[in-house]
Amino acid sequence: MDFSAIFSNLILGFTVAMSAQNLLYCFIGCLLGTLIGVLPGIGPVATIAMLLPITFNLPPIPALIMLAGIYYGASYGGSTTAILVNLPGESSSVVTCIDGYQMGKQGRAGPALAIAAIGSFFAGTVGTVLIALFGPPLAELAFEFGAAEYFSMMVLGLIAAVVLASGSLVKAIGMIIVGLLGGIVGTDVNSGIARYSFGVSELSDGIGFVSVAMGMFGFGEIISNLGQTAETKHMEVSKVHSLMPTWEDIKMSIGPIIRGTALGTVFGILPGSHTVIASFSSYTLEKKLAKDPSRFGKGAIEGVAGPESANNAAAQTCFIPLLTLGIPTGAVMALMVGAMTIQGIAPGPQVMTQKPDLFWGMIASMWIGNLMLVILNLPLIGMWVQFLKIPYRVLFPSILLFIAIGAYSINNSPFEVYMAALFGFFGYYASKWGCEAAPLILGFVLGPLMEENLRRAMLISRGDPSVFFTRPISLGMLLVAFALLLMVVLPQFQKKREILEVADD
Amino acid sequence: MSFQSRDRKDFNAGVMYIAIGGFFAGFALNYPMGTAVRMGPAYFPTILGALLIFLGLILFFRSFAATDAELPTKTHWRPLICIIGAACLFAFLIGPAGMVVASAVMMLVGAFGGWDFRWKEQLIGMVVMPAVCTGIFYYGLGLPFKLFPWS
Repeated sequence: MDFSAIFSNLILGFTVAMSAQNLLYCFIGCLLGTLIGVLPGIGPVATIAMLLPITFNLPPIPALIMLAGIYYGASYGGSTTAILVNLPGESSSVVTCIDGYQMGKQGRAGPALAIAAIGSFFAGTVGTVLIALFGPPLAELAFEFGAAEYFSMMVLGLIAAVVLASGSLVKAIGMIIVGLLGGIVGTDVNSGIARYSFGVSELSDGIGFVSVAMGMFGFGEIISNLGQTAETKHMEVSKVHSLMPTWEDIKMSIGPIIRGTALGTVFGILPGSHTVIASFSSYTLEKKLAKDPSRFGKGAIEGVAGPESANNAAAQTCFIPLLTLGIPTGAVMALMVGAMTIQGIAPGPQVMTQKPDLFWGMIASMWIGNLMLVILNLPLIGMWVQFLKIPYRVLFPSILLFIAIGAYSINNSPFEVYMAALFGFFGYYASKWGCEAAPLILGFVLGPLMEENLRRAMLISRGDPSVFFTRPISLGMLLVAFALLLMVVLPQFQKKREILEVADD
Repeated sequence: MSFQSRDRKDFNAGVMYIAIGGFFAGFALNYPMGTAVRMGPAYFPTILGALLIFLGLILFFRSFAATDAELPTKTHWRPLICIIGAACLFAFLIGPAGMVVASAVMMLVGAFGGWDFRWKEQLIGMVVMPAVCTGIFYYGLGLPFKLFPWS
């Protein structure tokens, strides 16, 4: 590995990220992300989809820096609500609720928040370094990929994303296919035929996945939230007395933070990035390692430090497949692909060589964003607490409005708002029947890419489908995908998935 | 094992997949199929549609094997109609009536979807939020909105 090259790249990155303009956008992104992220009932996907239109008018680098900031902010906001009100903003902070909220009830919400922030920062730093180290070699590998490899890699990514998730596998694969089909609506690049557009001119440009995400994660979620009246009606917000963790807290957290970071980075790089699994495994590990496991569930600080670090490390390293291979591994990364495409950047290995300032600037800004979150959130915690006290009945009409305006401003057309409404309706019923929205979004973004690569691979092989099995890298990926599918059938693994499912609800 | 005791979640999801798959595969008949070497616009959607129908059939038949399946939660008509209605009203009004009116109407209609409607709060929201959005999106971000019916 060429360390001097990495070093000079990082310097380039920091020069880009430290420019006053980019620092400002990183800051605004973190602030807005946390702001929306702490609001109950809005996960990171809806947050990013909602705020995406704000970045449309910006140049590519600040736009992506701001989006990355929004993403970290939203994840961080999720942990804050988990600790303070026992309400996970996203599924990966479900575990944080267990001990974090207990700590809050014991009047130790401050130290819990501080340790979560410190752990996340440490994990984010390690994650950033890893991206800088492994990004270039991976991208080089990706340059060797042909169409067949890309197709197989997308199959693997999609399968991995649903195998590791909770719920029915058949339904999740179904949702992927619905997404792939929705993604290819519009003008076919090869023949120029407008597929499934029925003479509607907006449809011949394709269905915008931003409005789909807004509809399913925004409108759909709000309808579901309003349906379950009683529990979210009244929330007890833990008081934050002092932020300073005791020396004892810090000593107990060092181990979990390091182990959580290690676990998180591994889970993040794997296709089908799952921050949920990372935080769950970290919690289980810490409980196993603890001298007195009975403390867990009653406010053990290790139960906050480990999972929060793991969660943030995974959130960071799942940028690796996106930035080097151009493959999104989850719904959030799918939105990032969309944002890059809107900015005229095709995600993939060529980003690093053709736009080094963008690539390294984004990586450097990730680290700066993590630092900002620590500096920003700990002093501002009082403000977030005030936000948490706003009742949902006051909040949700404003969220609706933001989604509608966001959808409208994609193309300055009411059509996108109608689309969001349609997909909100669809998402509401689909989730009722156990079909989740996340695989659909992933399919939506990958649909056109998959078709294109399938076509190219088959053209090169003169229509022989065995090309996917004779090229070693492609075969390897398909075998891993197949093995993952087989794993689901194993009883032991099924039990794990059931546990995750319970936690997801 | 009877029609009555079927797993309604699986059954409904299965029917939905069969319908969507059937729609895409069926409509693909209008487009040229091409060959495996030169795939036409119908090729990929036909394969996917067929796969989706297959998955739908699995769910459909599996649903009858269920014994004591969980029922899907009831449809919450009020939030469903109010939220979707509010979004459609916004889309309909923003052209002719401008953003300020469309926003206020959307907030009001949407708020009726909640469980605890209070006139005072919502009226304040209807005034404050369109103003805030005008500030952020029109003046701050410079998005080309039509603000009022007469503008």
